[in-house]
Amino acid sequence: MATEEAGDSKGESALSSSANRSNQVPEKPNYALRFTLLGHTEAVSSVKFSPDGEWLASSAADKLIKIWSVRDGKYEKTLCGHSLEISDVAWSSDSSRLVSASDDKTLKIWEVRSGKCLKTLKGHSNYVFCCNFNPLSNLIVSGSFDESVKIWEVETGKCLKTLSAHSDPVSAVHFNCSGSLIVSGSYDGLCRIWDAASGQCLKTLVDDDNPPVSFVQFSPNGKYILTATLDSTLKLWDYSRGRCLKTYTGHKNEKYCIFANFSVTGGKWIVSGSEDNMVYIWNLQTKEIVQKLQGHTDVVISATCHPTENIIASAALENDKTIKLWMSDH
Amino acid sequence: MAHRGGERDFQTSARRMGTSLLFQLSVHERELDLVFLDHSYAKPWSAHPDASSARPTRMLFVTPRRQHESTIESDVPIDVETVTSTPVPLYDNQKARSVMNECERHVIFARTDADAPPPPEDWEDHVNRTGWTMAQNKLFNKILKALQSDRLARLANEGACNEPVLRRVAVDKCARRVRQALASVSWDTKLIQWLHTTLVETLSLPMLAAYLDALQTLKGKIPTLIDRMLVSSHTKTGAAGAEALSLLLKRPWDPAVGVLSHNKPSKLPGSPLILIASSGPSSSVFPTSRRHRFWQSQLSCLGKVIPVSTHLLNNGSGVGVLQCLEHMIGAVRSKVLEIHSHFPHKPIVLIGWNTGALVACHVSVMEYVTAVVCLGFPLLTVDGPRGDVDDPLLDMKTPVLFVIGQNSLQCHPEAMEDFREKIRAENSLVVVGGADDNLRISKAKKKSEGLTQSMVDRCIQDEIVDFLTGVLTRAEGHMGSEPRDQDAEKKKKPRDAARRDLAFEVPERGSRPASPAAKLPASPSGSEDLSSVSSSPTSSPKTKVTTVTSAQKSSQIGSSQLLKRHVQRTEAVLTHKQAQAQFAAFLKQNMLVRKAVPPGSSSCLFVPISSEQTEEVEKEDLRVQLKRHHPSSPLPGSKASKRPKIKVSLISHGDAAGGACAPSQGGAPEVSGGKPVTMTLGQASGAKELTGLLTTAKSSASSEGGLSASPASSAVSSSTAPSAVHTLQSRLVAASPGNSLPGATSASSLLQGLSFSLQDISSKSSGLPASPSPGPAPQATSMKLPTPMQSLGAITTGTSTIVRTIPVATTLSSLGATPGGKPTAIHQLLTNGGLAKLASSLPGLAQISNQASGLKVPTTITLTLRGQPSRITTLSPVGSGAALSEEPAPQALPSSSQRLPPAP
Repeated sequence: MATEEAGDSKGESALSSSANRSNQVPEKPNYALRFTLLGHTEAVSSVKFSPDGEWLASSAADKLIKIWSVRDGKYEKTLCGHSLEISDVAWSSDSSRLVSASDDKTLKIWEVRSGKCLKTLKGHSNYVFCCNFNPLSNLIVSGSFDESVKIWEVETGKCLKTLSAHSDPVSAVHFNCSGSLIVSGSYDGLCRIWDAASGQCLKTLVDDDNPPVSFVQFSPNGKYILTATLDSTLKLWDYSRGRCLKTYTGHKNEKYCIFANFSVTGGKWIVSGSEDNMVYIWNLQTKEIVQKLQGHTDVVISATCHPTENIIASAALENDKTIKLWMSDH
Repeated sequence: MAHRGGERDFQTSARRMGTSLLFQLSVHERELDLVFLDHSYAKPWSAHPDASSARPTRMLFVTPRRQHESTIESDVPIDVETVTSTPVPLYDNQKARSVMNECERHVIFARTDADAPPPPEDWEDHVNRTGWTMAQNKLFNKILKALQSDRLARLANEGACNEPVLRRVAVDKCARRVRQALASVSWDTKLIQWLHTTLVETLSLPMLAAYLDALQTLKGKIPTLIDRMLVSSHTKTGAAGAEALSLLLKRPWDPAVGVLSHNKPSKLPGSPLILIASSGPSSSVFPTSRRHRFWQSQLSCLGKVIPVSTHLLNNGSGVGVLQCLEHMIGAVRSKVLEIHSHFPHKPIVLIGWNTGALVACHVSVMEYVTAVVCLGFPLLTVDGPRGDVDDPLLDMKTPVLFVIGQNSLQCHPEAMEDFREKIRAENSLVVVGGADDNLRISKAKKKSEGLTQSMVDRCIQDEIVDFLTGVLTRAEGHMGSEPRDQDAEKKKKPRDAARRDLAFEVPERGSRPASPAAKLPASPSGSEDLSSVSSSPTSSPKTKVTTVTSAQKSSQIGSSQLLKRHVQRTEAVLTHKQAQAQFAAFLKQNMLVRKAVPPGSSSCLFVPISSEQTEEVEKEDLRVQLKRHHPSSPLPGSKASKRPKIKVSLISHGDAAGGACAPSQGGAPEVSGGKPVTMTLGQASGAKELTGLLTTAKSSASSEGGLSASPASSAVSSSTAPSAVHTLQSRLVAASPGNSLPGATSASSLLQGLSFSLQDISSKSSGLPASPSPGPAPQATSMKLPTPMQSLGAITTGTSTIVRTIPVATTLSSLGATPGGKPTAIHQLLTNGGLAKLASSLPGLAQISNQASGLKVPTTITLTLRGQPSRITTLSPVGSGAALSEEPAPQALPSSSQRLPPAP
């Protein structure tokens, strides 16, 4: 209902500003809860929108992956196969496949439509913690508690390269938009950038006081890197120059590897979960907190943004176990 | 950005603008071009205020330095969304992709059993490794790893805008790794045939395609070895499959194939004759580097190409660096004269690579040619950049185009600008971004800018055409009055020259056929002949050289004489100049003294390092070298064989140095281990008398068959291989002279005997009088063998002092004497400051150039490698160290001359 009201009130301003909408960035979003998705029986670990915007995939400590319809929040299907908790899930670019990283030391490639596991990627010697497809979705990168990053061929499920990347568990891995680079973050406090083709380390980003890196991601255009560290800080780096450009603070993140995200569908925001059970939204340029989404009853471990619409999905840990979809007009 | 409108528009606009297509495409200062279009009166920013003859530099693929904003204001909006548009590939992407996937499309041809189901994705687990030997397992794993990396690169690069180039780079890398793996088993025929069969049978199709790609690439580089590897599969497969496979492997694909073949360069106006000056003596048996051959064929699109190759007198035996150099210049020169007489109205264009470029320039000073093109100009020398007041190059009148690499070791764009300011000839400069001395761009450059070497080469060619067209059309316009102009120019020249160095120029221009003796006194400093005499106190070398000279005189229009005098003239000045660097305080005094001192002591003044203790050894060495250079003879093979050698000895210095100095052998590094051996092989086959004796060496060498494919006819440096290996070792040994002295002496005396024999052999063939020092010629022939053997033995055993010291002597003499070293030396001599500067490095050279060169080579090799003045200091000791003398680096050259007087 709040949504309705907001929609009305903003309708006029939207009209008035429609003329110069292109150059005027809305000051604040007005995200409001739209759906609460119930289904997981354990802490949810990760939620991701499919690139085509149709689906939401969630992984959880109940060893399951669930697919939800974004449009109506309806539960769609469950992918099961992992023998231990799942830490991360990622979509292929064509939204047809998923890859999941599990504590059973394997990754699995899933065909979403049939719900079948296509490949099991074995090779890590400890929990697999994070994973991602490359933009062409012929490669998968995974990070593990065995401190290595592995690059896998999707087609054959073979590990093509193992990067002895870090000296602590790898918390996040991500391809840039062209697929030429991989960024990895680790509890050892380093962010490394790798040449995907050769597996060579091109750059290492390191902060003065070396807090564990809990999340790292390329910006949509691949020019910047967003990192989260366990000192409740998000930073935006210009990695080519190794410089930190922006710092986003105000939330609480000292224990969990909480996902963060660029929201580019409306205004340019940074979205992240927080250990105070809220979702925080910052203005990317001004670094101000522009909105906090309240509703979860446990740590918001994952917050993700819809690729084309102003929708945020958030998921919380075991006291909550729910996924919430939030929407905004801009 | 305005040109982004598709390739076709691009091409037409490029044509319309009258410049080369690729030049337009290249990262060129486009903004400036646009300025010129609108404001044709504007001076180019790079115009030289002082030098009207120097045209503004053209930059090819030089990435403009972007101005980074020094501070990033926090309120500058950060755009996290917009993806920077990727540059349009400069080649026909579609075509490139199609050739890129050739191997994938035809992968089935490689399968011996085409009907069998393709191996499953998890083929790796199905490979039955039972019964494999350790070596087989090792080799297989290595290849597998290489292919896996290649697979990763393929997948990661898939869909990238410049995927073909990235793929090309990745395939090259994979091919290199495969070659390394195969070289690690010494290309053992059985093993590699087994490997090929196994891979073909077991690999999954994508992997097999990658493997074929690697084979295709290697086939272009080492055809014989790859053929040997494929033999077995051919017998098994049907003939059709084999044929298809061999067709597929015929030549490596090139992403730029389409765009280049669609834009053929046009012929030059005036149908000029293009003379290519070789950068070293050549032989028909040892082909020039692939790159040079490629360029030769490229240039033949522009006009008639006449490569001027220099074959050595006497099969190269007994020919020193200087003589060789003279010979090279003489050859080019006589060719120019010949063409002039046959086709008096045909324009002649001289083109040369590196040293060849210098040769071309020097010839252009002596003879009339229409234009000179210098590809990779060795501007920097030990004494600093060329173009000092006494540099004969400054007298050039011929329009000259310099094409240099941005990352060249022997050249620097800025130094080049300085040099150009001083040249009076009309000159242009093209800087190729990210390219080395041989104008090859780096892998990183290829990757980042989506370039291929072939595209860069085409751009360079277009630049050459641009330049030559301008020069030739002008020349054509003046055709009628040409001869007169020429005469006028000739007349003017001596006058100009006279202002600067009367003695040399006048006699050369005016009275070339006059007897050299008559001209000698004309030299300005007067001391030059004296110093040359003085530096060669022994009468033996002198007489010998004289005979050589006279022999040459008959055949070479006396050009060698001229050269020699040229050299002599400058010698004094340059020796002095070197001294200046070290003894600035004594400069003036020295000059004064010099005039007064008796000839015998003159050089000592400048090089006051006469190390008494090493004198004895030096004497021995000298004698050895004197002899040794005879075996050293055949420059022909030298180039091919020498470069790898350098690579071997300095392999740890990294890619840059290695790449720069080993242009002749594509993927040299991995086989470097085999190369020295091969050189021994070359020597063996060349010096036929010794072949039988050297069978051991030969058999070991035969494993690296790619090199044996180019049968070294030359008696290449009997000891090239050991010497290369020992360069470092000998340096170590040299550090403890006390130890090495006796050993060296004994070794040298041994060598002395050996070299006598060879000298004898060579003198027979050459008709040269044997050197006066009496040697036990007959039995020495048999003694010759032990030298390489011993040094080889020293490699392995190298425990006792004596054994270890042998290499010292060997290295010394062999490095000096090796023909393998000669081109480098020549090159370096040129590098050192042109012909004029030769003398400074080799004071006694006129008379005893052989000896001198012998001593000099080690130094120069190292220098060539490093190329950068800053490093020379650290490096030169290698040379001097090898020579058992402990002078500081800069004095290495003078010191070699210093060593001459005490010679027997």
